[in-house]
Amino acid sequence: MNAVTATDTATGKATSAAAGTPVFSVEGLWKVFGPKADRVPADPELTALAPAELRSRTGCTAAVRDVSFDVRKGEVFVVMGLSGSGKSTLVRCLTRLIEPTSGRIAIDGEDVLGMDKARLRELRRHRASMVFQHFGLLPHRSVLDNVAYGLEIQGVGRSERRSRAREVVAKVGLEGMERRRPGQLSGGQQQRVGLARALAVDPEVLLFDEPFSALDPLIRRDMQEEVVRLHREEGRTMVFITHDLNEALKLGDRIALMRDGRVVQLGTPEEIVGSPADDYVREFVREVPREQVMTVRTAMRAPATAEEAGRGPAVAPDVTVSEAIEAVARTGTPARVVDDGRCLGVVDSDALLGVVAGTHPGVAPKPVAALPAQAPGKEADAEAGGEAV
Amino acid sequence: MAAVTAPTVRAGLPGLLRRRALAKLALLALAAAVIVPVVTARWASGSWPDALTVDLSEPLGRASDWIIDNRDSHPLFLYFLGHVSNAVVLCVRAVYLVLLAAGWAGVTAAAALVAWRVAGVRLALGTALAFLACGLLGMWVPTMQTLALMAVAVLASVVLGALLGLAAGLSDRTYRALRPVLDTMQVLPAFAYLLPVVLVFGIGVPAAVLATVVYAAPPMARLTALGLRGADPGVLEAVASLGATARQRLVTARLPLARKELLLGLNQTIMMALSMAVIASVIGAGGLGDRVYQALASVDVGAALAAGIPIVLLAVVLDRVTGAAGRRLGGDGPEISGRRSALLWGGSAVLAVAVAVAVRLAGRPEWPEAWTVNIAEPVNRAVDWMTAHLYSGVPYLGGTADWAGHFTTWVLDPLRSGLQGLPWWSVLFIVATLAWLIGTWRTALTAVLAMAATGVLGVWEPSLDTLSQVLAAVAVTLVLGFATGIAAARSDRVERLLRPVLDVFQTMPQFVYLIPVVALFGVGRAPAVAAALVYALPAVVRITAQGLRQVDPAALEAARSLGATGAQQLRQVQLPLARPALLLAVNQGVVLVLAVVIIGGLVGGGALGYDVVFGLAQGDLATGLVAGVAIVCLGLVLDRVTQPTERRAKKGA
Repeated sequence: MNAVTATDTATGKATSAAAGTPVFSVEGLWKVFGPKADRVPADPELTALAPAELRSRTGCTAAVRDVSFDVRKGEVFVVMGLSGSGKSTLVRCLTRLIEPTSGRIAIDGEDVLGMDKARLRELRRHRASMVFQHFGLLPHRSVLDNVAYGLEIQGVGRSERRSRAREVVAKVGLEGMERRRPGQLSGGQQQRVGLARALAVDPEVLLFDEPFSALDPLIRRDMQEEVVRLHREEGRTMVFITHDLNEALKLGDRIALMRDGRVVQLGTPEEIVGSPADDYVREFVREVPREQVMTVRTAMRAPATAEEAGRGPAVAPDVTVSEAIEAVARTGTPARVVDDGRCLGVVDSDALLGVVAGTHPGVAPKPVAALPAQAPGKEADAEAGGEAV
Repeated sequence: MAAVTAPTVRAGLPGLLRRRALAKLALLALAAAVIVPVVTARWASGSWPDALTVDLSEPLGRASDWIIDNRDSHPLFLYFLGHVSNAVVLCVRAVYLVLLAAGWAGVTAAAALVAWRVAGVRLALGTALAFLACGLLGMWVPTMQTLALMAVAVLASVVLGALLGLAAGLSDRTYRALRPVLDTMQVLPAFAYLLPVVLVFGIGVPAAVLATVVYAAPPMARLTALGLRGADPGVLEAVASLGATARQRLVTARLPLARKELLLGLNQTIMMALSMAVIASVIGAGGLGDRVYQALASVDVGAALAAGIPIVLLAVVLDRVTGAAGRRLGGDGPEISGRRSALLWGGSAVLAVAVAVAVRLAGRPEWPEAWTVNIAEPVNRAVDWMTAHLYSGVPYLGGTADWAGHFTTWVLDPLRSGLQGLPWWSVLFIVATLAWLIGTWRTALTAVLAMAATGVLGVWEPSLDTLSQVLAAVAVTLVLGFATGIAAARSDRVERLLRPVLDVFQTMPQFVYLIPVVALFGVGRAPAVAAALVYALPAVVRITAQGLRQVDPAALEAARSLGATGAQQLRQVQLPLARPALLLAVNQGVVLVLAVVIIGGLVGGGALGYDVVFGLAQGDLATGLVAGVAIVCLGLVLDRVTQPTERRAKKGA
């Protein structure tokens, strides 16, 4: 349930800040590896080629091809794709750990690609810090000194950086392990150190590069919840790279799905699952338990009668279908979707089943298929089912 | 040695590779068919034709004369080399005086305390005992001389090596340029370095120190570069992502990440410096090596042993202490508080000074004469007894001298005359074939050119003589080494028994091995071969055992599950999979054997090693230099012929 709450708060913040400049704004970004990489993005003939053909023609590999997106303040922006899809290259381009071939990146409106060395260091030191898949900890330093490392290279004095590091170490739940070396920690603990190191410099954006892929499933879940908790508490903007669809759906306010260097779909988890942009995405999300991602807003239809609009358990529009199923099953009547006391529509068991079965038409806000005949429900327990989340 | 490796090579080769090998052979045969008639038509002799020889002795002799004449007047010597030479002498002298001033007690206390701080109580005790033993054997002063020379040489080697390694670690171009040079320097016998420095500096301490520096710096440079380049890219990226500058990246991440390699480099440099400081006695290094050298020259085994034992003790102590320090600093133990460590170091220093002052006040800084034990006499008596009873005429067994004689008559002589009887071009083709089959066409070309160079220099015959000794020694080494290695890999008990022996044997300087073989076999070619065998065997055993033990256990388990017998597992799984390790063992065996066969020139091994010694002893630098170059060439040939495509980290001693 954490995910739902986090999504709620984040969406709220995202909408309120949507008017401002995005934290990261990426436009037409290309990263091509290989000889004379520069010519590829500029040549429309080459950009049209499939990856294999491009390699045989030019010897180049396009890891990121013409990617554009904005990361809004306070949101968790997930870039998801299989290995080789270019997602890790993409996130490294954001702070120029890998130099992009062409395109535009702006952080708070400031051009990143035009930054000189000192300015770029400033960006890396204060504005965006990264958590890595393989942790990247310094094995010869204690946990505390690893966490304080970012502050140390900024020139912060020893006692101050240590006290700040100590706070962050406590925040990620590693009290008492300050003096250990990374080699003495488990994978999950090491990644907590990595997370603490990134947090210690108090960056504007946290970049995660598949941070939990190397961890056991149970520990991975713990760490995901840790990230959700941190995001809820601090509302920090995050860019999260993953190859795990469930992780993406759990954490992401918005997801960019990448394939062969391109973004094939960008949208909320619900949009991705509910209306896949193409067969590739559809195949990708086929196994997803849709009722846990889709909200009643997409499943509802206009009330057929006034009576229907007045009766039945009330649910909020952001409630997932699986929760609505619970309400409907308990009362036996269609549920009303209520926002601010206004009834937006109703969801009945057929519509909910349609979502679960994947036959529901999708994101369309109004139901389209022929309305099934509604058996009037029995005694509705409006109080019991009407708890709005 | 080809006969030994061939089966494993074939077993491990997939069809494609075998076909490629056939293609190479066909190509070589074709080349031979074209070249041989032409060559035989022009120079019909079986040995290297005089027409293809360049006599370098005259120009070299003139160059050497010129240097001797101008050493005190030419600006190059006055303003550069002279200063280098003086600085070296001054440094060694200063260290030596400090060691003498500290007295035997001060030095022993300081060494033990350092060992305690970096390596623990047990090694501290061992260090103290080792130093006391040096004194007990009456070798305190030569030990200090050797130590002083080594200290200066090690310091210079470490600085030079670290700087070169830093350059090669940070710049790809430097690395590409430096690596082949360092690789080659590490396979060359120590003797090859002596002549050039003597040519420039003359016999004496500066030449000895510089030869030691040149010999000992490569491992430091190599390992520094390796460590810097091998740093975990993930960590470096993380460091960069936090906005570290290039200098911060080097100081806070790359160097600390490379600390294991740096310490290993230090360890290897120290061991090689000791090895060379002892050998450099033939160019005036003085100290322990000189005692051994003088004693060997008069076949005084007892005196040689009295000086040899301190060398071994020094080697073992230095190796264990630096090795333990490396493990300690490289480990993942909890953080050690800086203040406590500084306090303990300070305390140790104060204690050492206190001991030194106390003994000085007591008026006996020198090792007391009464405390020395003369082992030379009893040892010589034992050797005399051995000469009388074991050399020959032991019923059924024969005797050591008989064995040596038989080995010389039945193995070394036929091999030498066989090699020298082969037409010179066929030797070149054999070298080309072997090198190309195992390596690439580049290694083959280098090998052939190097082999031809020995002929051009006019030392074809002595080179083949040395080669015959090397081949004989390598063959025996590989047979014994592989057998022992397989035994050690298959039985934990054998491995446990062997490990301490191998540890000690691998740390001893090459020079020391000459002492026991002279005691057992007298002088001649057979003892040189025996010394080479003993020196190279530990490395071969160790590499073989490690290679076999590192074979993928899953593959072995699969074979076992299919019902393979022990012999089948060994033949069909372990040996083919361990092929790279076995090839490396051959390569190492050859390189190490060559190093000692050359030194065998000091105990009657003859051939190239003798030319070097003769050149040094008679002041005939031209002969020595030519032999030195031929040694370099032979080293290149042997290394390239056996060079597996991928090279691994090398044994340092």
